[in-house]
Amino acid sequence: MNETRREFLGGSLIACGALGAGLLAAKTVRKLQEPPTPVPPAPTLVPALTADGKLVQVEATAMAAPAHPTHMTHSAALTGAAARQGIPGRKWVMVIDLAKCSGCSNCTIACNKMHGTPTDRQWMRVFRMQDGPQQAPYWFPKPCFHCDNPPCTKVCPVGATFKRDDGIVLIDNERCIGCRFCMAACPYSTRYFNWGRPDNAKMKDATYSPETGVPRRVGTVEKCDFCPEMARAGTLPACVTSCDMAAIYFGDQLEDAVSNSEETVRLAQLLEERAAYRYLAELGTEPRVYYLPPKNRDFPGPVPKKSRGHPIAPPAPGAHDHHAATT
Amino acid sequence: MKTELGHANGTAPAIDHDRLRSDIMVQLRRSLAAPSHGEWLWIGSLAAVMLAGVFAYTWQCMNGLKVTGMREYIFWGVYMTNFVFFIGVSHAGTLISAILRVTGAEWRRSITRMAEAITVFALAVGAPMVIIDMGRPDRILNVVLHGRINSPILWDVCSIATYMSGSLLYLYVAMIPDFALLAPRRAMWERLTLRERVFRFLSLGFEDTPEQRKLLEKALATMAVIIIPVAISVHTVVSWIFGMTLRPGWHSTIFGPYFVIGAIFSGTAGIITAMVVFRKVYHLENFLTERQFQNLGRLLIALNLLYIYFTLAEYLTAWYGSEEADHRLIDTLMGKGPYGTSFWAWAVFGLFLPAIMMLVPHRRSLIPRLLIASILINIGMWAKRYLIIVPTLMTPYIPPEAAGVTPSYLPTWVEWTVTLGGFATFLMLFTVFAKVFPIISIWETVEGVTELGAKNIGVDLELPTMTARPPWPRPPIRPRRFVPAPAAVVGIVVLFVALGIVAAAGAEPSQPGSPLQLVIGSRAGDDGPQLTALVRRDGQPVADVPVEFLVRRALGQLRLGTQPTGSNGIAAIDLPTTLPGGPQGELAIVAQIKTGKEVTATAEASVPGGASKAARNESFPRALWSPRAPVALVATIVLLLSIVWSTYSFVIVQLIKIRKTSKP
Repeated sequence: MNETRREFLGGSLIACGALGAGLLAAKTVRKLQEPPTPVPPAPTLVPALTADGKLVQVEATAMAAPAHPTHMTHSAALTGAAARQGIPGRKWVMVIDLAKCSGCSNCTIACNKMHGTPTDRQWMRVFRMQDGPQQAPYWFPKPCFHCDNPPCTKVCPVGATFKRDDGIVLIDNERCIGCRFCMAACPYSTRYFNWGRPDNAKMKDATYSPETGVPRRVGTVEKCDFCPEMARAGTLPACVTSCDMAAIYFGDQLEDAVSNSEETVRLAQLLEERAAYRYLAELGTEPRVYYLPPKNRDFPGPVPKKSRGHPIAPPAPGAHDHHAATT
Repeated sequence: MKTELGHANGTAPAIDHDRLRSDIMVQLRRSLAAPSHGEWLWIGSLAAVMLAGVFAYTWQCMNGLKVTGMREYIFWGVYMTNFVFFIGVSHAGTLISAILRVTGAEWRRSITRMAEAITVFALAVGAPMVIIDMGRPDRILNVVLHGRINSPILWDVCSIATYMSGSLLYLYVAMIPDFALLAPRRAMWERLTLRERVFRFLSLGFEDTPEQRKLLEKALATMAVIIIPVAISVHTVVSWIFGMTLRPGWHSTIFGPYFVIGAIFSGTAGIITAMVVFRKVYHLENFLTERQFQNLGRLLIALNLLYIYFTLAEYLTAWYGSEEADHRLIDTLMGKGPYGTSFWAWAVFGLFLPAIMMLVPHRRSLIPRLLIASILINIGMWAKRYLIIVPTLMTPYIPPEAAGVTPSYLPTWVEWTVTLGGFATFLMLFTVFAKVFPIISIWETVEGVTELGAKNIGVDLELPTMTARPPWPRPPIRPRRFVPAPAAVVGIVVLFVALGIVAAAGAEPSQPGSPLQLVIGSRAGDDGPQLTALVRRDGQPVADVPVEFLVRRALGQLRLGTQPTGSNGIAAIDLPTTLPGGPQGELAIVAQIKTGKEVTATAEASVPGGASKAARNESFPRALWSPRAPVALVATIVLLLSIVWSTYSFVIVQLIKIRKTSKP
């Protein structure tokens, strides 16, 4: 049977070769015969391999451009009611590999830079966690979790913060009344408030979109937005691409794939193999951000400190300024 | 006069009711006289403080909330404390008046007016506190335009608006006979003062006919009953602003009742304070006697003990269970944390001391003792609301300290000035009210004295921060694998060898000159469908070329693997059938040939055979987070509101009937 198949394949290959050579010859001949005037646009033909290994010519449209929106064409952020609709056919998800995080906070810096965020707030903030005195400390980058049962969205009196069907939770700062109830409701301390008049000098001309959050407005709430306008353009969020350790993955759950700054992997497999968990998922918030436990670390973790669990080492004042200056 | 009334109970002399009425009126109208110098001074001072508050708030509007001490983490402070405090004070009033009316406690007659007025003024100051706390008060209309019934803030808006309307209506209904008394029908209208004309209009033509009296009592009894659940709902819903969040110290099932008890507790203390002040200022000793203070004192003791009980129940369970977040809160609030001292000071001076002062018998100095206890309770309950709000915000689930932030809150002059302005407004409203309207219900007192006797109604007619990334040294950005120093030498050697291989490999494909061409296809393999790629050069299949297969995803290319081509120039790899593709399961396949790291040939095609992508739920379900509210929630709220408002309507219908029955 193998014999026959090999023969068959061989045969068809010769056929293919012949076909290809024939086509090439025909093309050359036609080129020679025709005058160098512009020809009416004929359907572009591209080679295709058939199931039995034959090479055939088909129309280009049949081959490329898959029907589902793999390539996102328009990149402009949406405004108004359109921004409340998710990106069609998507369900965004983030995975953070704590074993790879070295606590360098490049993600924070890149995020602040991209969104023009003042240094006193960090949409992507790196915490130094230690679950117990006997347990090793580890770095814990925390974006907004874009919960599927978002406590912030429940309590908003005016629907200024809303959940989209692509999983992203956004804020419309043209509607926000500044009551800060969403900040109280968020158990993950993810939201920030514009206490004073924000400096919008760099994006004066920007048209406001909840997808970008700029220009900022006084008296309104803001937070990590999963960079929907970047996803629309088919690019990864700044925190992901800036991570030298490739610790942050972002992608479409419905496609079962997430990408970090180096590669694309299958989501389900990653979550299963690395025993992923969601932070404080017992609160019922259904976060869309998964963490991979810091097992077999790629780097030495933070220095352990003795304390009853959690909060460790408050920083000296001014440390942040230095940090900001290096940005 | 004394003697006449002194015998009111007795059998012997017939009481001159007209005389009695006019005597009581004379006494109770004293407060309505033009303000004295002292009163003008008081009103002027209050106006000055109110102006300062207005200035501070204007300053805040111009500069944003950054002029307050509130920041990241501790984003609610004194304003929310004021809100809860004043809404709390508002409870006393109407609730106490209504309960006493419903239960027929006759000693209530001289305190109901004051209690009902407190409710209205406390609401008038408390409710705007939330607006003052808002970042965008200019968008207040959004609450109506885009209101979401899922939000406890909307529940608050409905509930407080209903309570405010109900309290005003209740206060008004109980004042109708007094309006009539104070603006009696006269022969010539010109002789009426402005106030009398207004009162005449407000009296609805009430003439105290039996029919009108019946209608009025029906309206009053109905209001007294309906206002009780409304009052309870208000403070319950206020507590739910905190209770509905997932925060340690707030997410507590007893928060509703805890706040309601706290509200009645502080409100009762508020009434007692007001009673003592008015009694002194307007010489109402005959109407506000020991009887009222004794009874309200007993109520205050009961509420004090209840509040101790609720406080114990709330914090003991948190301390004993000691969940991590609760533990941190208890540490901050009651332990060595920043609020330990304040909490215990409150517990001693705002909770236990008043109870002890009132419980230890010392009959002679009842009123001064009650006054001191009430003032302690008032200050204590303001502090308690602050202690409910700030320490919880300081200890969220993710410890801010782990990001190098230590949250702290110190209210600024703006917040203090606005707060003082709020208190001044409250006192001003009360002062003006007492100058315009009788502060003690005349008709109810008269009715009580004439029908039940002065003693029985307790009237003594003797006359009566950031920032995160912090100080711990920034760890060096390392290569992904940890390479010890000796390994570096090996690494360099390996690198050179690798470079050699790459150079050799790179040289190879360039031999025959023309580039490789790739074509993608698929076929049925032995173990399911396979992806295939044909590699040719100049139309001839090329063997042993490694072809890498990838699938395009939204934000990257998922690597399936690399397979070398066979002698026929075809490389094949299993098609991942479980991988979600387009609607028909088509996958965007990329095949590429790499020379070193550089891609030298690539092809792309759409190949069927993947799983069809899970359909996304395009419409929102009914859920709390969704734009569409759960049916049960909407139904409950609509039902409750319609019960209350239809009752209000019923009361209004009674008032219309009173108007219609009046003589032209």
